[in-house]
Amino acid sequence: MLLGAVLLVGGGAALTRFNRKAEVFAGSSRRAFNAEQFALLEQVCEVIIPTTDTPGAIVAGVPDFMRQILEEWGTEHSRAEIEGVLEAVEKLAWSRFGAAFLELVPDRRLDVIKVFDGERLAAKDPAYAKFKHLVLVGYYQSEIGATRELRYELVPGAWRSCVPLSEIGRASAV
Amino acid sequence: MDFDAIVVGSGISGGWVAKELCERGLKTLVIERGRHVNHRTDYLDFSAPWEVPNRGKVPEAEVAEHYAVQSQCEAFNSATKQWWVRDSEHPYSTPVDRPYHWIRGYHLGGRSITWSRQAYRMSDYDFGANQQDGNGIDWPIRYADLSPWYDRVERFAGISGATEGLEQLPDGQFLAPMELNCLESAFKKKIEQEFPTRRVTAGRCAHLTEPTAEHIALGRGPCQLRSNCERGCGYGAYFSSLSATLPAAQKTGNLTVVTDAIVERLDYDHAKRRISGVRVTDANTKQGRSYQARVVFVCASTIGTAQILLASQSESFPRGLANRSDAVGRHLMDHLVGFGASGTHPGFLDRYYYGRRPTGFYLPRYINLTEKGDVDFLRGYGFQGYAGRSSWERAEKEAGVGAELKERLRTPGPWGMKLVGFGEMLPRADNRVTLHATRKDRWGLPLVHVDCTHGENERRLADRASRDAVQMLVSAGFENVVPLGELKAPGNSVHEVGTARMGRDPATSVLNAHNQAHDVQNLFITDGSCMTSSGSVNPALTYMALSARAANYAADRLASGEM
Repeated sequence: MLLGAVLLVGGGAALTRFNRKAEVFAGSSRRAFNAEQFALLEQVCEVIIPTTDTPGAIVAGVPDFMRQILEEWGTEHSRAEIEGVLEAVEKLAWSRFGAAFLELVPDRRLDVIKVFDGERLAAKDPAYAKFKHLVLVGYYQSEIGATRELRYELVPGAWRSCVPLSEIGRASAV
Repeated sequence: MDFDAIVVGSGISGGWVAKELCERGLKTLVIERGRHVNHRTDYLDFSAPWEVPNRGKVPEAEVAEHYAVQSQCEAFNSATKQWWVRDSEHPYSTPVDRPYHWIRGYHLGGRSITWSRQAYRMSDYDFGANQQDGNGIDWPIRYADLSPWYDRVERFAGISGATEGLEQLPDGQFLAPMELNCLESAFKKKIEQEFPTRRVTAGRCAHLTEPTAEHIALGRGPCQLRSNCERGCGYGAYFSSLSATLPAAQKTGNLTVVTDAIVERLDYDHAKRRISGVRVTDANTKQGRSYQARVVFVCASTIGTAQILLASQSESFPRGLANRSDAVGRHLMDHLVGFGASGTHPGFLDRYYYGRRPTGFYLPRYINLTEKGDVDFLRGYGFQGYAGRSSWERAEKEAGVGAELKERLRTPGPWGMKLVGFGEMLPRADNRVTLHATRKDRWGLPLVHVDCTHGENERRLADRASRDAVQMLVSAGFENVVPLGELKAPGNSVHEVGTARMGRDPATSVLNAHNQAHDVQNLFITDGSCMTSSGSVNPALTYMALSARAANYAADRLASGEM
């Protein structure tokens, strides 16, 4: 088999079928994230990918995607890892600024996430690697992330092997 | 007789045999063990990333329970899941300490849907290798025997590629190549300067860059550069049984296809020295039935074909059908993979590309051919490779969050390149497929047992290929150059071959020079099991050529009454 140069996946036609199967394998019947956790998740995602001249993580549906993926895809272990990341963010907010993450002003939230991101990546923490992976997939493979923030065509129709980047503009989402 | 011919299996080989036989006017039955598939409407190729179930992720618990082996394949994801068997439903056994990854799908079209579409001719270096170094037995054919058939299958399948004039990688009937990108072109120039007998060429692949009237008449269109290939292609832009050979066979009015029919055994008529029937079990009802024909082609894949032959024991063939030589199931080979190198390149930051090209480049074999000194192993390897610019995924490993992260990821990341080695494996009698002594599958058929290991030659070859890959990237100005890894367990390249090899001597081989069983004149085998050695190039094009050749030979013999 050839190496996966660009691995991408798709299939609306069978959504229902796949989703039904997915339910059987959900790690737990329990809803992923309680209300408090979800509120924290939303703001952490939005700090990682904020609204700028294009929509950020919340509008692009990243927190909902995270919930869905943990309910349909993740094992209990994955859920625990992701929830553990949120707990650790909360702890870091308290230790740096003596307040809950959601109580902090935007600059301080960014400070907490920046420090957290740097430390956890340096430590090669698998739970955070999974968390950041899901945030990035959730955003850049969403319709907003792929087509408004980056570039994506379902049917490129041609191969242009070597062109000035300025003609293409942004990075390709796939 | 129910049919003139029966073809077991509908993958690349079976599809080709069916097309050729039908076009020769023979009433042909194709028996597929898996389910029916509708070309186009059963594919998931028109979904954008955000429309794909769980963005491609198959639930972790489902992978662990049902797809532990199949998920090793890089093309496995939620949009291609339908093309792989559930390991839990289709078990096989191996010795505990000797894993073999048997990656496969049971459905109409078989692995012709998920193949990597790389299409290369074998050369006389490959056909002569066993004879030259004394491993295995000599192939009963040479390149000249197959060359016109390569022409025929390339024209029909549609192979994109560039002409190079290399002895070790013969040119073919090519459609326009998919050009190298900026960095690949620079790499080609550098490598061909530094290493005068090495060549970098556009990956030869079964994609229609310029469809001919024959392709269009079958409903096939040009490649749209989507790279959703492994989901199935609604444009029919790459060759598969479903896009090409089965529709062509269907057009003749001579084709019958049955699906969900698992071949249990072939019955042998001792007096007539012929196969008298093909017994199948209905996959759903488990009811048995039998089909008869004048000639039977088994194209059930390398391991599947061995399984059927071994299960078809009779008084005449107590070790399995056509197995007087005891070669059935032996000499299992799979291309060596897992090694190579990757690196990043600091240049070309103002250059990019448009479209998702479904191939890369190929760097054909040179070792032990044009570069012979200081080599401590036999045979050789080629590299498939590609260069590209990273995108948002790079942020998974790079620190950074917030507006700064978003801004940075709008621009493509640095260029990178990967060189992936594919090495030849020597034929060894003890690398072997047998039937399990006691365990049976849900249809009551004995499980396949695979015992296959690499030897010293394989390890040395992989080490050297890995070092070469690193050296080439470094010499071409790459940075952060690292080897890809270790030699993977056999099975991982999904190029398994050799379990019913061709040869001249009935005492040491199963098939003659026309893929006909030495001992059973109306039995032909043209899938990977017929391969006497593995060569170093992707084998599918060779299966196609051998299948077309053998089918026409059989049709000639039937027409002349010699069979």
